[in-house]
Amino acid sequence: MSRREFSPQTLSVLGALCDQPSRWQHGYALATMTGLKSGTLYPILIRLADRGLVEACWQEEARPGRPRRHLYRLTAGGLASATGALAASAARRPGGRDARQPIRRGVAAPAVR
Amino acid sequence: MSWLSRAGARLLPAGRRDWAEAVWAEAQEVPPGWPRLAWRAGGVWLIAREAQIMRRIGTLLLFAAAAGAAAWSAWPGHGGHASVARADIAATVLLVAGLPLLARRVLGAPGNRAARWLRAGCYAAILALMPAKAAIELFLGAVPRAGIDLHTFERFQCPWPFTSVAVAVSTCHEVPGTSAGGPSWAGEVPVLFLTACFLAAVLAVTARRAPVEPATLAIGAGAGLVLGAVMYAWNPLGASSLKYQNRPWLHGSAVGVLAPLTWILLFGAPLVAGAIAGRRCPVPGDRGEASAARTWQGPAAGVVSGGVAAVFVTVFGTGTTALLVDSAWVRGLLYHGQHLTASAVYGRELFASQDVAGYAFLCAAFPIIGLLMGVAGAGFAHATGALPDGGRPPGPPGPPGPEPLPDPPDGGRLADAEADLDRLPGRYDDGEGDQGPPRLVGAGLERVR
Repeated sequence: MSRREFSPQTLSVLGALCDQPSRWQHGYALATMTGLKSGTLYPILIRLADRGLVEACWQEEARPGRPRRHLYRLTAGGLASATGALAASAARRPGGRDARQPIRRGVAAPAVR
Repeated sequence: MSWLSRAGARLLPAGRRDWAEAVWAEAQEVPPGWPRLAWRAGGVWLIAREAQIMRRIGTLLLFAAAAGAAAWSAWPGHGGHASVARADIAATVLLVAGLPLLARRVLGAPGNRAARWLRAGCYAAILALMPAKAAIELFLGAVPRAGIDLHTFERFQCPWPFTSVAVAVSTCHEVPGTSAGGPSWAGEVPVLFLTACFLAAVLAVTARRAPVEPATLAIGAGAGLVLGAVMYAWNPLGASSLKYQNRPWLHGSAVGVLAPLTWILLFGAPLVAGAIAGRRCPVPGDRGEASAARTWQGPAAGVVSGGVAAVFVTVFGTGTTALLVDSAWVRGLLYHGQHLTASAVYGRELFASQDVAGYAFLCAAFPIIGLLMGVAGAGFAHATGALPDGGRPPGPPGPPGPEPLPDPPDGGRLADAEADLDRLPGRYDDGEGDQGPPRLVGAGLERVR
């Protein structure tokens, strides 16, 4: 599916999106789950969207006093690609870090059940 | 901060602005203080990265340095015609800096790497010509003191008793050993006009909205470089008929090869470039669109080849002429094995500098010749390569394609035909995911589950 392997950061984003593939997620939630800064997270999302692996949309109505938020989720192709990439990554590093875990220490990530 | 985010998003292409606005909108959800500041800093970084600001700044600095160095090298001292030379330099720099900005708004930015390289080469050539032209103009206007040099000068400047050329008339009556002037508006305005036309043509051919393929630009530029290199090797000091002075490094046998080769390439290079570009142009399946696309590629390749050749010969020929007096290395290369006195060098510089005006003719004529030959080449390609299947280039048929997939059994579906996210392995069902965010817009949002 992909010409190049995904970077650890991209795998982390894919892992976060893969946990609830049908659910639209916010950028800040993804940043919290992956431990990535916004300057790293959004370029990854842009590339994934360019490749058709992630779809994005705007929230229809914002909360009062807050701007509308941008939402993301995997496409069907993106889910298949992410599942394969995560499985391959786990197979290569059986005792290593799970790509779904935050890649930075000290960042509180919500529990992934 | 909203105005700042909007201003920053404007730097981005239209397809990227949503992402910048998304980062700024999401910042409201980040805890205030350093985390929010860091989030917004990431947004600034995103804009800088996606707008390629660092690349733009680097390009701007490189252009400013090159333009500044060229202007500094060509900047005249005090003299009667220094104001004309300064205005000419300022106008040239403004032309090279301003015309691309105008073309960007009207025609669009260059759409591919070949277009960017072609534009960069054109800018570099125009800037390189500035100091070379300024150096040569010193000799064009200086009247030798006496002897053979004065005889040579008068032969060129006053060829007829009643010449109609204003510049020649003015210089014929100068006192030997003085400067006859330098640049004049009568000579500079046509050069500026030609430079503007040349630059505009390059910008139009390389613009994103121009129907010219990157391969066409590469083919045309390659053919032009071959023609330019051969012609420069034939006549490194000009394009006139002054045999000895203009091709000092060649013996008779080499001249016998290069002279006809130059003439063959002058017409053959754009012809072949046009034919190749017309044949290999990737086109959509429609036969009419294929024909229209090919119609553009041939002339474009021809114009590019002629233009590149003219610029190549002009820049290298003018540069060699300008360096002839100052650079012993250039003299050794041109007149290897010969010892030239200062007077001889001066005389040959006088000869060569008279030919510089011929480069203006080349820059006007070569693209026209290239255009005509490119049209002929495209027509030749069109005539010999019929479009049997809606634009597919002629050639041996390829291997047969795969057999069509059989119909699935009753009630079955092909794999991945319509992937159901709910049924895919790894679906996490925590009760919250069933709901999905309410009141969303976008495809598939009516039913997130």
